[in-house]
Amino acid sequence: MRWSSLLGLAVVAVLIAAPLGLPAFAMTLLTELVILGLFAMSLDLMVGYTRLVSFGHVAAYGLGAYACGYLLLNTSLPLPFAVLLAAVMTGTVAIGVGWVCTLATGVSFSMLTLAFAQLLYAIAFKWTSVTGGSDGLAGIPRRAGPMGLTVLTTKTGFYYFALAALVGSYLLCRQLVASPFGAVLRGIRENETKTLTLGYNTRLYKIAVVAISYALGGLAGALYAPFAGFANTELLFWLLSGQVLIMVIVGGSGTLIGPILGAAFFLLLEHQLSSYTEAWALFFGLVFIGFILFAPQGIWGLLTAWFKRDWMRLEKGRRHGT
Amino acid sequence: MAHSDERPSSPPLIELTGLTRRYGALVAVDNVNMQVAGGETRAIIGPNGAGKTTLFHLITGMVRPTAGRVRFAGEDITGQAAYSICQRGLSRTFQLTSLFPEMTARENVRLAAQARNRRRWLPFGGASVFKEAQGAGDAALELLGLTAVAERAAGLLSHGDQRLLEVAMAMAQQPMVLLLDEPTQGLSVEETAQAVETLARFLERSRVTALLVEHDMEVVFRLAHKITVLHRGAVIADGAPTAVKADARVQDAYLGGIG
Repeated sequence: MRWSSLLGLAVVAVLIAAPLGLPAFAMTLLTELVILGLFAMSLDLMVGYTRLVSFGHVAAYGLGAYACGYLLLNTSLPLPFAVLLAAVMTGTVAIGVGWVCTLATGVSFSMLTLAFAQLLYAIAFKWTSVTGGSDGLAGIPRRAGPMGLTVLTTKTGFYYFALAALVGSYLLCRQLVASPFGAVLRGIRENETKTLTLGYNTRLYKIAVVAISYALGGLAGALYAPFAGFANTELLFWLLSGQVLIMVIVGGSGTLIGPILGAAFFLLLEHQLSSYTEAWALFFGLVFIGFILFAPQGIWGLLTAWFKRDWMRLEKGRRHGT
Repeated sequence: MAHSDERPSSPPLIELTGLTRRYGALVAVDNVNMQVAGGETRAIIGPNGAGKTTLFHLITGMVRPTAGRVRFAGEDITGQAAYSICQRGLSRTFQLTSLFPEMTARENVRLAAQARNRRRWLPFGGASVFKEAQGAGDAALELLGLTAVAERAAGLLSHGDQRLLEVAMAMAQQPMVLLLDEPTQGLSVEETAQAVETLARFLERSRVTALLVEHDMEVVFRLAHKITVLHRGAVIADGAPTAVKADARVQDAYLGGIG
């Protein structure tokens, strides 16, 4: 078995066992971390695998959160269905977003994604009857699952629900990037003109990856709304788009795992630093600059290089031993 | 189809009529009429800036013509998207090498061949798609003598191998028409000789129709059945190599001292 699969299983095992040993506040942080990790991973499909740099990924998060909140407040849909439906709705809207944004490339593409996020931000403020305006949606319930399945409504139950969404999405993404579709995405990343002239309708592939990425980002947002109990315009604020992009880059883009680690790193650092100083963002900025300059491959890149060396030494030792 | 044998000659596979591309005051391609028969190797020559590469861009859908039509196998393909023209069976290489630098040579040809698979977009699994594509890709690598460097990243190959890899990618697509934009540019004398022999063998065996932009006259006379000479965007001569070589206008415009 490859060392990375072993490590992955070990991490998942630890995450499953976490509620047994962690106090309540830590479980809240861990749940948020799982949700944010999913959000960052969804962006990696675009940034890391297709070199489509989105400055407006918050649109996916906010859309998912508002959609899920609205469904839970105004319909009788059970929690898992509301979350999934919100993700699907986000992905569907993203087909339109992707269609418009892929009219441009490079920085213009990034600017268009930002424009869409700002548009949604404005809508969330103005469309009071649906979004609650500046108050947002409050008191979002975690309604019992199908057939009276109440386990998801508890704190621990919801954590497992979010963890399942993250692990499921990760396995889905891994399939995707290793498939023929994923090979074309890598082609677009490295040389879009060449990919086009080889006979691939690159724009269609880009729209598809935007839709999938937004759907998973929407899933993260849809989990956040019932987790926090509210959805407000902060979930559509451009700052979060920048932060999630930083999580992807610091964690290691184009690796799926890296951005999850990046989200964890970001959240824990914020948690630690903010208890010492108001200006924690300043220190995080310095850390970000450090990564860009000295470790552009990110946390996961550093870890893999380190593990590979250790593992090889171990294997060598084993061979010499026998 | 039953009556096709009775025709005196087969219709041209590629037919350009009045093809023109202007960039402001500059006429890059000027009213070009040209017919290429199936199975023919046609060289397009001319001094720098004669419009050879723009002509390739117009045929492959990279640039829209200002006027004129492009017909392929009897169908009008003018203004169609580059990917759909390639899907019809026209594969090209670029004057400036265009590869996927971080992928290995094998992955490069595999991605090229994958475009010919009907399930090329499959978002999961796809082992059979990859296997088929790799088969066609590996064959192209072997044909061009690149098997030894197959596992190396394309961006780390020598310039000569990169040029050949791009040709291999086009071949791996098993096209009906191969458009090669200066395939031997920057190759050493030995590399050129070897590449030309490989190309000659491939063109003969596959009976693929080829359009070739080339500056090296030895390469042109070795490979081409017919030559079209462009000068300032316009066709100034068109015909068999020996006739073109003897043409006074061509001597003036291009061949100069060589003849």
